[in-house]
Amino acid sequence: MTKKEPVIKVEHLKKLFGNNEVLKDINAEVKDGQVICLVGPSGAGKSTFLRCLNMLDQPTSGKVLFENQDLTSLKEDQLDQLREKMGMVFQQFNLFPHMNIIENIKLAPMKVKNQSDEEAAANAAELLRQVGLEDKAEAFPASLSGGQQQRVAIARALAMDPEVMLFDEPTSALDPEMVGEVLKVMQDLAQRGMTMVVVTHEMGFAKSVADEIWFMADGYIQEKTSPQEFFTQPKTKRAQDFLAKVLEA
Amino acid sequence: MKKAWKWLESLIAVLLLLTLMPQKASAADDASASKATDHYLKKVKDKGEIVMGTSPDFPPYEFVQNINGKSKIVGMDVEVGHKIAHDLGVKLVVKTMDFDSLLVALETGKIDMVISGMTATPKRAQSVDFSDAYYRSGQALLIRKADKDKYHDYRSLNGKTIGAQTGSLQANLIKEQAKKAKLKTMDKTTDLVLALKTNKFDAVAVDTATSAAFAKNTDGIIAIPSGFKITSDGSAVAFHKGATSLVKAANKSIAAIKKQDLINQVYLPKAGKYLAGGKSKKEAKVSNSMWAYKDFFIAGVGYTLFISAISVVFGFLLGAILALMRLSHNQVAHTVATAYIEFVRGTPLMVQLLFIYFGLGLIINIPAMLSGIIAVSLNSAAYVAEVIRSGINSIAVGQTEASRSLGLSRFATMRYVIMPQAMKNIWPALGNEFVSLIKESSIVSVIGVKDLIYQSRIVQADTYRGVMPLVITMILYFIITFGLSSLMKVFERKMNHD
Repeated sequence: MTKKEPVIKVEHLKKLFGNNEVLKDINAEVKDGQVICLVGPSGAGKSTFLRCLNMLDQPTSGKVLFENQDLTSLKEDQLDQLREKMGMVFQQFNLFPHMNIIENIKLAPMKVKNQSDEEAAANAAELLRQVGLEDKAEAFPASLSGGQQQRVAIARALAMDPEVMLFDEPTSALDPEMVGEVLKVMQDLAQRGMTMVVVTHEMGFAKSVADEIWFMADGYIQEKTSPQEFFTQPKTKRAQDFLAKVLEA
Repeated sequence: MKKAWKWLESLIAVLLLLTLMPQKASAADDASASKATDHYLKKVKDKGEIVMGTSPDFPPYEFVQNINGKSKIVGMDVEVGHKIAHDLGVKLVVKTMDFDSLLVALETGKIDMVISGMTATPKRAQSVDFSDAYYRSGQALLIRKADKDKYHDYRSLNGKTIGAQTGSLQANLIKEQAKKAKLKTMDKTTDLVLALKTNKFDAVAVDTATSAAFAKNTDGIIAIPSGFKITSDGSAVAFHKGATSLVKAANKSIAAIKKQDLINQVYLPKAGKYLAGGKSKKEAKVSNSMWAYKDFFIAGVGYTLFISAISVVFGFLLGAILALMRLSHNQVAHTVATAYIEFVRGTPLMVQLLFIYFGLGLIINIPAMLSGIIAVSLNSAAYVAEVIRSGINSIAVGQTEASRSLGLSRFATMRYVIMPQAMKNIWPALGNEFVSLIKESSIVSVIGVKDLIYQSRIVQADTYRGVMPLVITMILYFIITFGLSSLMKVFERKMNHD
């Protein structure tokens, strides 16, 4: 395991939606190659926290440092350059319905990185092979199952060759039989050393893949521990209650 | 306090200046007029042409004649115009527009003179200068032949409806003398006659020369004396207020016309020959008389298509820009776009068109056709902007987030992700807007642009047939709009293949 300096560092992050304080005071670090799983009850602010990491939601106060640059102080075009290094996968896949699969994957490399069509197409084909969908290149998103769409979404994010991948409940919108194929792809990714921050309800995945579990509740990160410790000896009462409910079901 | 007063003072000064500006210009005119060395005559001579405005739906004064397949404005007034131009040693240019628009066009310098069977009333004389009268005509009423024994003059029309041209002497006569009759006005004499034939009116007031022409050429219509007491000064040529040099020149020509009795000896017979010539040709081929006017309709379709096509393109581009401005986070852009859209949607296209042609005409001279294209484009843009905005808003926010998270800029996201999807969603609504643009472009005929409506008016005036040209115009508009919506459907199907 190679644990070096932090890639992402969050300091006193606070986020309000109107008067609703969703994130109260978050301090955390993600190191290179780490896989972090964010778990906790719904409404805890997990997704908001993730979206604050790439400024899809603008933090109310505090800092988000990515490669030692404070994202909260950047202008939009500078932000665009940093966003391409942080891939994001959404609960609802968000594939572009008017483009076929290969076009979905090629769009950003061609428009942002100015790759040639051939280069982007070759990369896209390789990525599709990695997620097991090489035969779907010409299909349109609407003709794919949820699991297939999510694997394409992962390939699309990977096409930008990101340093970090953010996953926002990637399996929550899937039928149960499709959860496995998506988790498998994520597991492969983790094994290849990708730095990942994953918001998930899949405790099995968290247990086996995560380097660290962050338990969030009430706008704070309540616990940061190894999976081992979190699932066997949760320290806080909130975590104990949460685990009791989740593991029961 | 003192500062506020000063501010107010300068505001009042600016307002005063603004209200004074037009008056100042006319005051200058008056001053030079007293010396009779105003610049109007010189300007006309420098140009080498004098522009005459007229409303060519008023035979035998002025009407359109199909001569060797070309439409030409002819009639007694045109001959008077030619005489004046000839005496000045310049070319005569005839510009056509609605009777109502003539004086405004004169005031704003679009034309140099009005010869359109216009009577020199004292009221009109307040805003323009008239020449001496060149023709004095009596007033008559047109009625249906079936009513021959019922009506004898305006007094027997109590409680009945009499039609007259909007803003005409006849309209005023009815208002003042035939108080017990109901007055209905329309822009075109041909429409008035059509309304008479279709029992909308019981009589139409026109001057005797016109009444004779219509009675002769329209089946079932006869002319009777009007019975109006007339103190009118006869038809005269109208010039811009203060254009004394031109008035003097015109009076010289008119004196010559009167001396030789040119109107009765030459001009009216010539106009009558045109009318009779058109008629006999028509009688020769009754079955396809509309076919003889095919060139008019073809030209009309051409103009309508041209104006519509350009307006669709510019309306769409400007609409897209406005939509993006309205959606932008820039407060200024948002406010400007919102204000524009609300204002343009909240005012009639007709007023916008007249404002651009006449209002802006005070500052910069925009030709009628260009004014029409500008007005229709600017108007359409406001509607297109709202359609595009609704299309953009219909795309799920996740699409933007996915695109931005990949590093695409706000613009690239709009260009490659949002717009293509939005266009597909709004395509039917856009088609709707384009179809109504084609139809609404017909408003440009008001300022004399020769579009399909304008041509159908001319054919109506020329053939004395009210309904047939309308039917043909309707069919032609339908072919154009149906063609467009079919084309839109082809593209829609193409997009759905994706």
